Amino acid sequence: MSKVGVSHASWDTYRDIEISFKVNGKEVKVKVKPYERLIDVLRNKLGLVSVKGGCGRGECGACVVIMNGKLIPTCLTLAVRADGSEVLTLEGIAPEGKLHAIQKALLDTYAMQCGFCFPGVIMTSKYLLDKNPNPSEDEIKEVLDGNLCRCGSYLRFVKAVKLASKYINEGKIFFDESEVMR
Amino acid sequence: MFRFDVYIPRDLRDALEALRIYGEEMLPIGGGTDLLVLYRQGLVKFKTLLDLWPLRSNLSYVKLEGGLVRLGALTTVEELESSELLKDKRFAGLKDACRTFATTFIRSLATVGGNVGVAHPLSDIAITLLTYDASVRLRSLDGERVIPLKNFYLDKRKTVKKPEELITEVFFSEPPNNASSVFAKLDRRVGHGMGYVAVGVYAELDNRLVKEVRIAFDSIGRPFPERALRTEDSLRGKELSEDNINRAIYEVLPKEMSRINDYRASAEYRIYLSQVLLKRALLEVGRRIGGE
Repeated sequence: MSKVGVSHASWDTYRDIEISFKVNGKEVKVKVKPYERLIDVLRNKLGLVSVKGGCGRGECGACVVIMNGKLIPTCLTLAVRADGSEVLTLEGIAPEGKLHAIQKALLDTYAMQCGFCFPGVIMTSKYLLDKNPNPSEDEIKEVLDGNLCRCGSYLRFVKAVKLASKYINEGKIFFDESEVMR
Repeated sequence: MFRFDVYIPRDLRDALEALRIYGEEMLPIGGGTDLLVLYRQGLVKFKTLLDLWPLRSNLSYVKLEGGLVRLGALTTVEELESSELLKDKRFAGLKDACRTFATTFIRSLATVGGNVGVAHPLSDIAITLLTYDASVRLRSLDGERVIPLKNFYLDKRKTVKKPEELITEVFFSEPPNNASSVFAKLDRRVGHGMGYVAVGVYAELDNRLVKEVRIAFDSIGRPFPERALRTEDSLRGKELSEDNINRAIYEVLPKEMSRINDYRASAEYRIYLSQVLLKRALLEVGRRIGGE
């Protein structure tokens, strides 16, 4: 690992550090700056713009992704920490042309207004349903309490997660676009 | 706006060496949920960050060994919450503190060592650890120091930890079977709640008689978590009855506590809230020990 211990001799803030990690199942290699956050790399270098920059200080939950099975705010994570990890963003939760049960459930419950918080809400819901496919209403509220939605769709998120849990328990994880209400 | 270098250490020794070489221009970063926010606001300056995450393979653990409960400094709040140890009712207060700690995604980054080390009043884990009379283990190239948590803080964001030292562990002795704890806080909303007031209570009861009680608040007067020693004294050796609790919270606590006015709450309200939360916590700890 060449990046280990490299900076003993210099203050080179502009040096590049090469990291490799798995994003949505694909192995990527990317050069990052030491000060870059994971959100900068995912959005600007890998084009994964579902990762939204909201507050930039871990308060709004718009930028969360699942990294090694943990839900993390990418605005508070140094990009170098992603080295060797496995990252899942909204782009990777369903195959091309399909929607995940959570996405379908959010549409079914008319939860979307402006949609800026959605990537975060969907990733948080996925994290919850991966751990616990049958969450109670309280558990849903507890896990989603960090995702701010200024349109105020909170109650619909709870409904949607319950619906998604129903879909998933029926074995319906992915939906074709044609099955989704327009 | 973000401009700094990052040093990725090989192991703990390498990290300690780097701290010595870089001196005060280097700051260690654990979860970063506090440090990077302060940096954004321009409240903290450094040239290089020492990324502690690679040290997690050795410094992230929750164990009970030889009568000591040991928490690795880089254990995240989520790992602590889901640990086997916290299923035990003797650690119920730690469980409360983890469950109400910020949000799901902050809990997966924030560490025990970080929470103890930031020396901020609103450090839920540190408040609870104070009630367990925990100690902090500090490592530097010169060796190891153990500081009781109650002597660890000097002021807001100031501790006795030297810049070349790292917190490696927080530990406390295993509580007896007749012990339990509670952590309670109140804020306008539950999610992201920091608490206008936060309180931790640990107690050992012998047939309703208070054998030992330790009470810690986010602040007693100075801006960091501290124990309410006189309130503890007034309860020790007595029965955990509503009368004794009322006497402690109405007669003793206000004498040793002073609170601040700020945009979040007035001092008067904070003292009132401290009394209410302490009473609830004491009653709850009695119920928990009784197995109710």
